[in-house]
Amino acid sequence: MSVKKHTGRRKKKAEPKVNLKEKMAEILELPKEIVLNMPKLTMLGNGDLIIENYKGIIEYEDARVRINTTTGIIKVTGDRLTIKEITSEDIMINGDIASLEFYK
Amino acid sequence: MLFLRLWNYMRGYVIILVEGYFLEKFINICTHRQIFLWDVKRQKNCKMMLKISIKGFKMLRPIARKTRCRVSLVGKRGFPFVMYRYKNRKTFVVGAVAFIFMIFILSSYIWAVDISGNKKISSQLIVDKLAAYGVRPGTIKYGIDTNKLVNNMMLEINELAWIGITVKGTKIKVEVAERTNPPELVKKDIPCDIIATKDGVIKSIITKEGQEAVKVGDTITRGQILISGSVVNAKKPEVPPRLVHAIGLVKARTWYEGSCAVDQRPIEKQRTGKIQNKYSLVLFSKNINLLPGRVKFENYDRSEIRKRLSVGEDLVFPFEFVIDKYYESNLVEKEISYEEARQHAADNAYKEALKNVPEGAEIVKSSVEYVEKDDEGTYANVVIECLENIGIQQQIGGK
Repeated sequence: MSVKKHTGRRKKKAEPKVNLKEKMAEILELPKEIVLNMPKLTMLGNGDLIIENYKGIIEYEDARVRINTTTGIIKVTGDRLTIKEITSEDIMINGDIASLEFYK
Repeated sequence: MLFLRLWNYMRGYVIILVEGYFLEKFINICTHRQIFLWDVKRQKNCKMMLKISIKGFKMLRPIARKTRCRVSLVGKRGFPFVMYRYKNRKTFVVGAVAFIFMIFILSSYIWAVDISGNKKISSQLIVDKLAAYGVRPGTIKYGIDTNKLVNNMMLEINELAWIGITVKGTKIKVEVAERTNPPELVKKDIPCDIIATKDGVIKSIITKEGQEAVKVGDTITRGQILISGSVVNAKKPEVPPRLVHAIGLVKARTWYEGSCAVDQRPIEKQRTGKIQNKYSLVLFSKNINLLPGRVKFENYDRSEIRKRLSVGEDLVFPFEFVIDKYYESNLVEKEISYEEARQHAADNAYKEALKNVPEGAEIVKSSVEYVEKDDEGTYANVVIECLENIGIQQQIGGK
C-alpha cells in the first residue's frame, strides 16, 4: 500500500496559508474534523475504510472509488470494492484496498 | 454490527438491482435524501446491487427517473414480509393466538404440589390439608394467600416447626421443618421420680435433686426407678420421706439386636433382556392408556419413567407421558461362598439392629456371632452396644 500526497501542482502555492480557524483549532485543541469540516478517515488494515464528513461519490467501480471531500478528492483503488454502508455523514468501503490517493 | 443487521431484519429491507449510467449520482441523491443504503456491490455493465429499507425503496421512484436508472427488485427480506406471507393464512394465525392464550390460561393454575423437608409427616397429609384450604392441582394461583395458608397449616399440623409456602410458576412449593416434640416434663413444683425408659446397664448417674436408687453397674429393667423423689431421712427412717422433684442425668449401656439367616443360595432376579413397554398419557388427572394389553411375563421388574410437560423447572403443565418398562426376569438360585453368605447376613442383621437405635444414642461397639440352629441353618446375630440417656421424669404415684 502506498500513500502519496499531492500537495499541489504549482510550487508557488507550496506554502499554504494557515488560516485563523485552523490556528484556533490547534490552540484550543478542538477536533479539526468538526471545526474545519475535514474528512476523517479510519482504516482497519487494508480491508475497511470509513470516511466521515464526505461530500459525495464521484466514481464507483469495482476497482476504483473516488470520493469528494472538503479537502479534495480521495481516490481508493483496489479489488472487489463494495460500499458496505452509506449515509449522508459517512461511507464505509470494504474490499482489498491497494492504495489511497489525495487530490486537491 | 449484529444488532444493526437484526434491526434491519426487523424493519424489513429489499435487495434491488440498479441499472444505468449515473450510478454515482443515484447514490449521492439517495444519501442526500437520508436514504440508508448498504452492501452496495458494483457489477459489470453498469449494474449495481444494493440493499435498501422498505421506506427508502418507496422514495426511489423520482430518483430513478432523475438519474435515468432502471430499478428492479431482486429479493425481499425481513420480518414484515414474513408477516405478510401469513396474512392470508387465518387458521394459522388463529392457532398461534390460541396457543399463546392456552399457555397463559394453563400457567395461571396450580398443577403441582412440591413438598420437601418432611420426614415424619407424610406428604399426603400435607396435600390433604392444603386441599382442605382450597389449594390443590387445578386451583387458580392468583387468589392464593400464602401467609394465611401458612398460618392455617401451622395451626392444623401440630408437628410443624416451620412451613414455607411459595407459588412458583405452576408449582406450589411447600418447605417443611419438623419439630421434635419435647419430652413431657413434670412441673417443677410437683415431686417426681426418674425412671428408666429401657433395659440396660447403668454407666453413670448425675443426680441434682433426689436420691439415687441404683448404682453404677446395676442392671435395670424398663420402668425401674433410677432416682427417687422420695428422700428418706437416713438418721430417722421412721419420719415420712421428703418428696422432691428429682432432677438428674442417667446414662446406660443398651443393646440392640438384629439377626439374619445365612443363605448360601439366595434367590436372585436376573433380567432376561426382554422388555415390554406400556405407554400412557396423564391429562389433568385422567390416565389414558395408549397400548392396552397385559404384561406377558410371569416375573418382571417394573420401572416407571414419567415425563412431564414443563417449561423450565417451575412452569409445569398437567400433561404427563408415562412409560412403564417391564423387564422380564427369571428367579435364579445363586450359589455364593460360605464366607460371602456370612458377610451378607451380618450386614443385613446390622442394618436391622440399627433401625432400633434411637437418634441420640452413641454407638459404642457392635459384635457379630453366628448361631447354628438345628433345622433352620446358621443365623448371624448382631448386637450393637450404645450409650444413651434413659432417664425420664414420672410423677410420684401417678401413671
